[in-house]
Amino acid sequence: MSRPIHWLARRTLLAALPLLALAAAHSSAGAATLEEIKKRGYLVVATEDDFRPFEFVKDGKPTGFDNEMVEVLKKSAPFEIRQQILPWTGILAGVATGKYDVAITAAIITKERVQSLDFTSPIADATHYYVKRKADASIKGIKDLSGKTIGVQAGSALLGRLPELKSMIEKTGGQMGKVVEYTSYPEAYQDLALGRTDIVVNTIINLQALVSEKPGVFELGQPVSGKSYPAWAVAKGNADLLKFLNEFIAKEKASGTMPALQKKWFGQTWDLPVSFTPEF
Amino acid sequence: MSFADVLAILSGALTTIWMSAAGIAIGMPIGLGLALIRWARVPIAGPLVITYVSLLRATPLVTLVLLVFFAMPQLGVTLEPIQAGLLSLVLNTSAFNCEVWRASLLSFPKDQMEAAKSVGMGRVLRFRRIVLPQVVRASLPGLVNEMSLLVKTTPVLAVVGVVEVTRAAVRIGAETYEPLPPFFVALAVYLPIVFVLVSTQRRLERRMARSTAP
Repeated sequence: MSRPIHWLARRTLLAALPLLALAAAHSSAGAATLEEIKKRGYLVVATEDDFRPFEFVKDGKPTGFDNEMVEVLKKSAPFEIRQQILPWTGILAGVATGKYDVAITAAIITKERVQSLDFTSPIADATHYYVKRKADASIKGIKDLSGKTIGVQAGSALLGRLPELKSMIEKTGGQMGKVVEYTSYPEAYQDLALGRTDIVVNTIINLQALVSEKPGVFELGQPVSGKSYPAWAVAKGNADLLKFLNEFIAKEKASGTMPALQKKWFGQTWDLPVSFTPEF
Repeated sequence: MSFADVLAILSGALTTIWMSAAGIAIGMPIGLGLALIRWARVPIAGPLVITYVSLLRATPLVTLVLLVFFAMPQLGVTLEPIQAGLLSLVLNTSAFNCEVWRASLLSFPKDQMEAAKSVGMGRVLRFRRIVLPQVVRASLPGLVNEMSLLVKTTPVLAVVGVVEVTRAAVRIGAETYEPLPPFFVALAVYLPIVFVLVSTQRRLERRMARSTAP
């Protein structure tokens, strides 16, 4: 969810490639409408490969919550689903240029992103928490975070909301410590285990998955942000496709399929809003 | 890390090997062609080669592959990740190969050319019998250096969805939350690939030394 590098990648692309900037400028020119998708007979879906529990690869096969949702979509969609698996870096750029019709991944809805993309109904609750080393007895609550080194993914939605944590720490009379940015979360967790950073901030879902896999090493802390939701992304202005996907999500919510998959992959379900306007 | 994980890295190794081999096999002769165009001072084509080489040597491979993958469809050319990756490798390595070849061509002794001319050898024969064998030998270390660099830049192609050794390792680390073991396996895969390149270079050099010995 830490949809980090996305703007970084986009910025690299735009800065280095005037041609692409031009293409992205009238971006919806590249994006296929629902009618065009029906006519050509397939929908191009982009997913990630290292974002457990949403999307990851196990024994060479894509799996996780989003991949199972894609399987469900395959059964009901009136067209073929073609899936491309790639790292986060290229995903949103690919959606903006029309290379992919939809990013079926956990992109946190942020103020900056809604300027270039449209988001579906949220697929999970992604309130931000911190995780610490289990052996680290110096951290018991928010007030103990004063001066501690914080690990977070570069360019992520989580990084953008650290000011919330800062004011929480300052309210207890402390001061926010150094923030270290990582290119991806597996590295941040590794550094946390090694003691080079004291806490790592990520969404509750990612952290619960981490802690249940490595209960001897890590321990979940408290929430460090207000509401935050991940959703799927389509090109800005692709209203028909967005409506189609939202109807799909609403249908699978009502049928119980989506809550069952949430339970399976996230260990819980939520009463999620149909749409969300981000404050951050 | 399970046995299936090791297999996943090995299948990534196949991708790394064949893409590197194809990149080298296509890029090296193109590099030679470009170097010859510059060396022979072909009008119009010569300055074009200079522009091509300067542009590509200045473009980071990751930028190039993103450009090829995301911008080409805007021009009506749709490429799969593998195709976009290979095209970028060829574009990149041909520019660097061109400079390696050109350096050897430039240092080629003029008196040998004049000697060949004086015994009545034509342009093509001169190139084939006198220039090429010596230029190949002079270029070999530089070329092999560029080849091993190419092998090690292939992880960059992962950005558009090519799953080579490093990406396969990253995926496993993301699944197990243990990133170090898959990286050690990945490292153990790169070592023999580069070792094969370097030992082939040595064998070729030895053979060439023998064949030109008096």
